[in-house]
Amino acid sequence: MNRNDEKREQQINALLDGELGEADTDELKSAAGDDRELARKIVEAYQLQQLMDDIGVEPAPASLTKRLNAIPRQHKPAAKFSLLQPRWVMALAAVPLAIIAVSLMQPDTPSASEVARARQDLAVAFAYLDKAGQFTSREINSTVGNTMSDAVAGSVIRNMKSQYKNSKEKEA
Amino acid sequence: MSKRYRQWVKQYQNQAWTLARYILKDAQEAEDATQDAFVKLWNNQDKVDPERVRPWLMKVTRNGCLDRLRRRRDNVEFDESYMAGEVSGPMQGLASNELGAWLQRAIQGLKEPYRSLVVLRDVHQHSYEDVAGMLELSLSQVKVYLHRARKELREQLAEVRP
Repeated sequence: MNRNDEKREQQINALLDGELGEADTDELKSAAGDDRELARKIVEAYQLQQLMDDIGVEPAPASLTKRLNAIPRQHKPAAKFSLLQPRWVMALAAVPLAIIAVSLMQPDTPSASEVARARQDLAVAFAYLDKAGQFTSREINSTVGNTMSDAVAGSVIRNMKSQYKNSKEKEA
Repeated sequence: MSKRYRQWVKQYQNQAWTLARYILKDAQEAEDATQDAFVKLWNNQDKVDPERVRPWLMKVTRNGCLDRLRRRRDNVEFDESYMAGEVSGPMQGLASNELGAWLQRAIQGLKEPYRSLVVLRDVHQHSYEDVAGMLELSLSQVKVYLHRARKELREQLAEVRP
């Protein structure tokens, strides 16, 4: 296709889109009068456009309309805020842990009441760990026997207790 | 909220469905794709600009259809370098009432993005700007691609015209 053909193709497209200026439209019509091939292209372009208009938009099947209208019942819009959402539960649960962690990491000398409170929190935490450890031991024990149970649950708790002891020594 | 959504269903379901059908060439899958797009509209109704619901929905519908085509692993569909544009078998001397059906098949035979361009611009008659936004193409790309697609269809039409 040479440059003139390309220009004519663009003019035909612009003509169909109603974007061809008056002067260019007149020029195209005049050229088509002398060029049967160009005239044929313009006619075919119009015929194609006419067919496209006739096709139009197809009506959606009734089954689809039914499915689309059911969407609001089946898909509740996402709640903007809910205390029951997992991320909020996790965030709330993290708050006391963060407070304990911060209080233990404070470089300044804590007050006596803060130390007492932190120790109490830790004691509660270890009591829980002990219970969890015993439970885990029983579970492991029932599955693989005593030795493995001590090796897994016991070593974790012993390790944590020794770290706690070290931190107390450092405080002293 | 639901009333507004139902209004959107009424206004845009036919367009979304037609686009999906042209792209997927399968009525059942087109229904599924249209439903997926409307579920997204329902879930994002507060985020979508009410003035731009139609182009938003068409874009989501098309993207959903293209994802489905990819899942079909129909690699030939995604050679966007040029269009194949072959409609099965010569159909010489079609009557005018058959030309519409022929044209639908011819449009379905175009490659992406030509097929979506023809449907959105020439069948649905969206503006060039909207089509460019929906297909994430520049305005000049839309014009060039559409020009190619129309020329291809025109040449096919010339072969089957009575």
